[in-house]
Amino acid sequence: MIDALTPLALAETVDLLTSPSDITGVLIEGLAKGSLYLMIAVGLTLIFGLMDVINFAHGAFTMYGAYIAGVAVLALGVGSMGFIGSLGTFLIIMIVVFVLLAVLGVIFEVTLIRKLYEYPTIFMILLTFGITITMEELMRMIVEFRDINNGQWDIGWDSPRQATLPSELGGTIEIGFLNFTGLQLMQILMGVGVVVGIWAFLNKTRYGLFVRAGVEDEEMAKALGIDINRTFTAVFAVGSGLAGMAGVMLMWDPLWDVNVPLALAVLLPAFVIVIVGGLGSFKGTVVASFLVGLIDALGTWAFQTGVITFTDIDQLMIFAILVVMLILRPRGLFGVKGQGDHG
Amino acid sequence: MSVETQQTGGGRFPSWIGQYLRDHLLLAVIVVLFAVYPFLYDFLTGQFGLTAQMILPRTRTMLTILALGLFAMSFDFISGYTGYLSFGHAAFFGIGAYFVVLGHNGQLPVVPAETSFMLLLLIGALVAVIAAFLIGLISFRLSGVYFAMITLGIAEMMYVASNNWGFLTPGTSDPTEGVAAGSPTDVGFFEPMVGVPFVEALQVEIGPFGDESILGISVGDPQIVSYLAIGAVVLLCYLMMKRIIHSPFGRVMIAIRENEERAKAIGYNVFYYKMGAFMISAFFGAVAGALFVGYEGAIDPTNSFFFLVTGFALVAAIIGGLGTLAGPFFGYIFLEGVEEFLSREGSGGGLQPFLEQNLPGAILDTDIAGLTINEALSAFMTGHGDFYAGIIFIIFVLYVPIGMLGTLRNRYGTDSLAKYVSAGVEKRLPSSDGETAATGDDD
Repeated sequence: MIDALTPLALAETVDLLTSPSDITGVLIEGLAKGSLYLMIAVGLTLIFGLMDVINFAHGAFTMYGAYIAGVAVLALGVGSMGFIGSLGTFLIIMIVVFVLLAVLGVIFEVTLIRKLYEYPTIFMILLTFGITITMEELMRMIVEFRDINNGQWDIGWDSPRQATLPSELGGTIEIGFLNFTGLQLMQILMGVGVVVGIWAFLNKTRYGLFVRAGVEDEEMAKALGIDINRTFTAVFAVGSGLAGMAGVMLMWDPLWDVNVPLALAVLLPAFVIVIVGGLGSFKGTVVASFLVGLIDALGTWAFQTGVITFTDIDQLMIFAILVVMLILRPRGLFGVKGQGDHG
Repeated sequence: MSVETQQTGGGRFPSWIGQYLRDHLLLAVIVVLFAVYPFLYDFLTGQFGLTAQMILPRTRTMLTILALGLFAMSFDFISGYTGYLSFGHAAFFGIGAYFVVLGHNGQLPVVPAETSFMLLLLIGALVAVIAAFLIGLISFRLSGVYFAMITLGIAEMMYVASNNWGFLTPGTSDPTEGVAAGSPTDVGFFEPMVGVPFVEALQVEIGPFGDESILGISVGDPQIVSYLAIGAVVLLCYLMMKRIIHSPFGRVMIAIRENEERAKAIGYNVFYYKMGAFMISAFFGAVAGALFVGYEGAIDPTNSFFFLVTGFALVAAIIGGLGTLAGPFFGYIFLEGVEEFLSREGSGGGLQPFLEQNLPGAILDTDIAGLTINEALSAFMTGHGDFYAGIIFIIFVLYVPIGMLGTLRNRYGTDSLAKYVSAGVEKRLPSSDGETAATGDDD
């Protein structure tokens, strides 16, 4: 890292930073990335906030969502449907994936996770970590057996993605000095949609009320006759479904691959966001997603313009944010004392 | 431990050795078993062929188990005894491993090229201790999930850095491919000597092309020599960790796990104890990394700094028993055993080669839903040990959360099995001082 800085003059850097198209480019890229991160992390936050479960299987759910969506767009031939048709199919796939993974989440919650509520938090980490290993290896088996991606579980899928991505989404749109791709616009819209949707779920529905009551005081909620177990199951289902939806979104993004290692690649940034935002805080997660997205975009931009010549600078910066944040504010931006501590 | 056989009081050895051996009978028996394992393996595979090959892990696998088992023990030392889940423990493994390789290649400041392996191992471990101190300064302000996450974050930063930092691999090669000791042309061949530094007679060269004799006894296979030499270091590390845990320091560690507030209230400065435990476990984690490199001769980010290195140490610790120290080691044997049981021919002789040889072809080619049994085996079993290990792990978490060794201890109602065995032996022996029933072995 020491010799990673090239001797680019400071004036030149400042010059780059002040050009309007660069600034807006980084901003839009940051918002788009932030939206993706938000979709990845929001399920994790919902589950933790209510159930105190650190769901290590979250990334595996996303990976399954990405695979299902990838196979579906290829099988249905989404690329050749025209813009409206392919976008509609994409949304239908997204809903189907949401439902499928929510069902999977319910199965896991009822058969496995429910047994460990009385145990320390650490056991949840262990259990869901075991689920991750098993799910990943299962997908590896399926991929090798069904010969998906030529039976390779670790290669990218650049060419199939380009084949299925409608050209309207891949192309750039220019409005004044604003420069963005259709995909970025879609990601941002999706991210905003998810925020609004979850906010509405938590604040405007009866179930959301139960969830908030459960987060506030589980015992009291039980005493008032709320079936907290069913609420847990529902939230776990929604969280798992959201993880799958994020996978569907990632499928078309050029920076992510549909492969087995995606599970961990998704999981770690999601943790960072959830921790930076404060464990269990929905507001914190939203803020942290966009923060991480912007910093990530800034890092990528710095690499592309040659300010820094360190390939994975964006990843490094994500974890640096985590460490710096935990030094400055040990409980994250909107964290509550006691949440996630010992015992 | 020292070499000695049955002897009566007043001989060349002081009587406490006999007493010590009797108190640690089980340990001695297990150490002997481990020491003779490679010979036993050769004998059994010669005798029973594929059947033995199917069940028993190879000596080569046992070598990996030694290093990674030590790593799992060091992970247990902090996570199992103080209750602070060190989720970035792979950082120390990586530091130890990379330090040996870079030190040998002469890339580190101060350390000259081709410094002896034992010295590199020790310095690397001390570097890991310093790293643990720095990480601890940040992370011990937090506890629970936050502690796990911040250690994980730091380790992941190191992983990303090791994947991209050109310094690690001078020249043109890709850092993700890893780095081999002795790879630059101007540096001598990597010949790691394990043993007592500066005593020629007590050192052996490990590695696939190392010495063929140990302590003057010809074994004939460098692999077995490496196994014994690395095993000796692992045993020493185990005994040291065990000693620390049984000391007052270790008692405070357990007190922190059980109730940190109360430990604080009694007057212990828990921060110092946590930090101390973290640094000690980092030391042994780095030693494990160095030993791993000692035999392999090369290291890459994915098998050193990567999150799953910690992950599998965790799996091993749970299966073996968190907070039992020896448990994670046996857990690793179990884990690697499953992996190898489901491996293909040529990498250890697992289930499939065995079935192919012993079942009639008609059964193997039976068609079930368009898939022969043989095909199903190679698709869903062979090479997918992790899948079954994962399921076993989930079952352990759900139904045996204290692990194998923990369960055994509970069953016999002692806090260590060795005590139980020794007490049993004590009852049957006539009570005199000098007699020993056990045979120790210098592993």
